[in-house]
Amino acid sequence: MIRPVLAVVLNTYREVVRNKILYAILFYAVLLVLTGHFFADVSLNQERRILFDVGLGLISLFAVVLCLFAGTSIIYKEIEKKTIFLIVPRAISRGQFLLGKWGGLFLAMAVIITAMFLILLVQVWFLKLRPEVALLKGVILVYFEVALLLAVALFFSSFSSPVITGMLTIGFFVIGRLLPDLKQILFTKYQADAFRTVAEELLQVLPHFYLYVPSGHDFNGRTLSLTTDFVTWAYMGWAFLYTLLMCALILIIAAGLFRRRDLA
Amino acid sequence: MTEPLPLELTHVHKRFKTGFLNLRTAVAVTDLSLQLRTNEIVGLLGPNGAGKTTTLKMVTGLIFPSAGQVRLYGEPVDRRAARVRMGFLPENPYFYDYLTAEEFLHMACGLADLPLAGRGARVTGMLKKLGIHHARALPMRKFSKGMLQRAGLAAALIHDPDLVILDEPLSGLDPIGRRDFREIILDLKRAGKTVLFSSHILPDVEDLCDRVAIIVKGRLREEGSLAELLEHGTRNTDVEVRCPHDQGEILAREFPTFERAETLSGFRLGVPVGAALQVVLRRLLELELEVLSVRPHRISLEDLFVAHAESAPGEEVAP
Repeated sequence: MIRPVLAVVLNTYREVVRNKILYAILFYAVLLVLTGHFFADVSLNQERRILFDVGLGLISLFAVVLCLFAGTSIIYKEIEKKTIFLIVPRAISRGQFLLGKWGGLFLAMAVIITAMFLILLVQVWFLKLRPEVALLKGVILVYFEVALLLAVALFFSSFSSPVITGMLTIGFFVIGRLLPDLKQILFTKYQADAFRTVAEELLQVLPHFYLYVPSGHDFNGRTLSLTTDFVTWAYMGWAFLYTLLMCALILIIAAGLFRRRDLA
Repeated sequence: MTEPLPLELTHVHKRFKTGFLNLRTAVAVTDLSLQLRTNEIVGLLGPNGAGKTTTLKMVTGLIFPSAGQVRLYGEPVDRRAARVRMGFLPENPYFYDYLTAEEFLHMACGLADLPLAGRGARVTGMLKKLGIHHARALPMRKFSKGMLQRAGLAAALIHDPDLVILDEPLSGLDPIGRRDFREIILDLKRAGKTVLFSSHILPDVEDLCDRVAIIVKGRLREEGSLAELLEHGTRNTDVEVRCPHDQGEILAREFPTFERAETLSGFRLGVPVGAALQVVLRRLLELELEVLSVRPHRISLEDLFVAHAESAPGEEVAP
């Protein structure tokens, strides 16, 4: 039963890594990650901080851009180009198909993120800086972020066009990144009435993308930084569990929506 | 215990929502019931827009009936297990441009849940059988239409399915390709498989099919073996006689109800079904007219097809 899913995973991975447009985007990503080196060079005694923050920030930014580029149109293209006619009539359920698509996209993104991270490590080595465990934790959080973002993109693409999928995915991503600020606004600007209660509940169930970019924010009374005090492994464990459960939930709902869709 | 039928459609309807806000409804298939028995080749015929492809999409689980049931080997088609024993070749199959034929067939093996061991030999064998082994490492965007059709059939058959559904399998093929495909379809029957295919190429249908189902405007008009369908379809027997054109009134007097048409050397009489042909021939000889040819005019599948395509639903069809 796992073999049909793996077949879709492998095919989706090939589709992403053999796409020429992706290489153009990746080229610019590598170029920009390399600019971290430049910023580090011109900064005064802040090379380490600048390189870590700019490098990891750019990896996260390009991972998100690539996710949106690859994830929002992948189901639509299968239906539009009718290649799905060669898959759905086989020994694979539609839920397994979506899972395979998500797995393939994640695999491709993981390879790309790893490549960008290795470039960052080369720069760290080049500047004779000490690689921090925080950097590893930071990039692992990018993997988690990408996993959740791909699930959101697949969810919307299971029933809508790439443009709408793109807009909704970006919207959810932005809201997810601003969740603590939005909650703060709710608490300070609104009375404890029905609207606030509903809004709070709604924010609770939205994908929590803020979880993956803790650097520079207050966390339990301390300011997190890649160069001084970063999140614990326990935090990483909770972030992993949250990502796993949210991805599973989102993909199950997406599979439910996709299950009865006419692929005409 | 008897095995369930390979394919069973029971009172299947399909309506599509169309227009602004999906307020209009287009009916694609109406009350279609059809059964396929094990080890038979059934042809699905119909003019463009008749509902053949819609029917095949429902059979393969790509779209869902608005009402009625589609079962494969007794299981509803939307269940994964139901589709394990089915192979499907869509009309004008579309492929992943970036894959080679070999990669594509390996993917098809995975989708069919085949174990890794033995996949290589299976893929190589199928590529050779379909005559595209030489192009196995070529990206499929470089394939001709015929080669793509062969790759699609290879993927449909890679897991040795018991039921094979083919949507217009012979379209776009050159004569050699058509011959090869026909041979493969006949091989499937010899191997005990069941085949359902749609086609516009009527001579191929006549050659290959045990049974034929004719669909027009979403309704099943006629279904049965070719012998059954064409049995009551014998029409006039054409009798050509040598006779000067100015003596046509002799024939008009003797055979007033027969169709009569002038030919280069005389006349052609249309002797209707039910008239005693022997008596007619004897009378012609008595009149000292030379009988040049006697040709029974049986209706062909094409006649039947055209008659159904041009008739209204419920109208008596006279090919």
